[in-house]
Amino acid sequence: MIETIYIEKKIKNHPRTKFILKKFKKARVLEIDKYAEIFNKRNQNFRIQKANPNLILAHKNDGFVLPAPEGFGIGSSENFYFSHMYNCIYDCRYCFLQGMFSSANYVIFVNFEDFDTSIKNVINKNINSKITFFSGYDCDSLALENVTGFAKHILPLFQQYPEVDIEFRTKSIQREPFMSIEPMKNVIMAYSLMPDLMSSSLDNKVPSISKRIQVISDLALRGWKIGLRFDPLIHGEDWKSLYENLLEKVYNSIPLESIHSVSVGPLRFPKKMFKDILKLYPDEPLFTSPLASSKGVVSYDEKIEEEMSSFCKTLTLKYLDNSQIFRCYA
Amino acid sequence: MIKSNFLKKTSVRWVVALKEEAEVILDYYKMVLVNEKTLYPIYKNVEETHWLTLSGIGRHNSAASTSYLYTISKASKWTSWINVGIAGSGKGDYGNIYLVDKIFNQNANITYPATMPKSNLSKMTLLTTDIPITDYSSKELIDMEGSAFFDIASKLTTKEFICIMKIVSDGPSNDIKQLNKLKIIQLVKSNLSKISKVISYYEKLSENENQIRAKPYIFYKISSNWHFSVTQRTQLENLLRRLRVFCGNDDIMELIKQCENSSFVINALNNKIKGNKVDWSDV
Repeated sequence: MIETIYIEKKIKNHPRTKFILKKFKKARVLEIDKYAEIFNKRNQNFRIQKANPNLILAHKNDGFVLPAPEGFGIGSSENFYFSHMYNCIYDCRYCFLQGMFSSANYVIFVNFEDFDTSIKNVINKNINSKITFFSGYDCDSLALENVTGFAKHILPLFQQYPEVDIEFRTKSIQREPFMSIEPMKNVIMAYSLMPDLMSSSLDNKVPSISKRIQVISDLALRGWKIGLRFDPLIHGEDWKSLYENLLEKVYNSIPLESIHSVSVGPLRFPKKMFKDILKLYPDEPLFTSPLASSKGVVSYDEKIEEEMSSFCKTLTLKYLDNSQIFRCYA
Repeated sequence: MIKSNFLKKTSVRWVVALKEEAEVILDYYKMVLVNEKTLYPIYKNVEETHWLTLSGIGRHNSAASTSYLYTISKASKWTSWINVGIAGSGKGDYGNIYLVDKIFNQNANITYPATMPKSNLSKMTLLTTDIPITDYSSKELIDMEGSAFFDIASKLTTKEFICIMKIVSDGPSNDIKQLNKLKIIQLVKSNLSKISKVISYYEKLSENENQIRAKPYIFYKISSNWHFSVTQRTQLENLLRRLRVFCGNDDIMELIKQCENSSFVINALNNKIKGNKVDWSDV
């Protein structure tokens, strides 16, 4: 439950602000000048805040669309991302958002129309390239869809550009607006997955793997293209049989022709971020894994990474074509 | 063992302007005067988990006494800081206690304290002034210390560990001139159960954080047996935090007992981590 909503004065009368406020009738509302005066203050405890986050409604001024980090793509030559929100309602122990912001409060930027303008500009500037946009790099793209309505807002824009792909990456089981509209060929519904045993320990507050697979199956049957993101790959006892069971279950639950792409990605933290996250959660079993620091990055050693990626790729090749499989290094 | 019990201790520091506001609290938490010759009067309980200072009136006093208490009581970074006192109000009900979640002062600085989650207490905005004001119109709460207390406490801990509570003592229908020592004591007394409920949350918060942040007990033992550089001490601490999740202290000591120097210790611990396979069915 959201107890307090901070609203930038500039957008207090914005229709989307009013729409969102209607969802939280009991919340205390405080006006602020700029979201940064709450969100960016250094003297905040992320872990304590994460237990009861508040909501900040803000106006984004710039940086609507940014180039995706290298190694994040799924086949296009130009990759961009945009985030209508900062932070996530889930609490995954491997997530970089734990060390990204000093606050665990959620920020929703209500000026969606400015995202539209920037997206169109980027498309026009890259008219001769194959482009993919990723929604929700700094958040889960659909987890708060019933509050923000962002996907519902942005989909019609991409209807105008059928040659441009957009990926919604999520761990949610949000079905709308997708079940109510005609599937679009340039939309990829991408789901992050890991074996149930690992997920139940690491994916806090996240719908179970079987629920996610059910939604993937429903959306696939409805005609939406599916992305499967085995990212990050988590090591541990029996990892091979755990991943084998997961992959077999997934590939046998959804129509293979609906799968747009599969990506596998190693577990990686920037060194400073790892230190911060370890301080927040020192008793986390994940951090007892054989992670080591090299060149400013904390990860499993290359041998483990390679073995896990190859294993998942080999299994996937039983069902899909090599051209559909990507390695994510971002 | 003694050290680990000490580290688990709760830690609360109170900054209260007037003796009348503090009296009931001092009594309830069994705090007594530490020494009559301190710059600001300081009280503490026997366990040294609760400390309180009487700041006197005004922002300067509040800021100075908060810093003073921090130094005298050797408060940790995970100490909870509490400011409780009476306040004027144009909107609140006389005798009611409120949590403060926004503070203005006359320099137009605005700050946003966090408040304890899931509390039944209502929240209000506080105006901290340098001179007493009786124009209560449109002001939720008015005091003379809150903003300075929050500014200083924010430098000592994160905002989740700071709490400001105000009891409405005067307003448009309750003349400030009618306020006396007995009435102030009574106002605090009638809110004591609510105050103690809030405080138990902050006690637990600091206790938990102290426990999470404390260096593993075995760190002290190992660092006294071998000489570690500053960088190595950080490495050692991080490795021990990770190892203690799946490895007992005796096993760790056994692992490193033959090590000739600190580098060998670090290597041995690193190798132990490298060889670990998390059993996800057991976490």
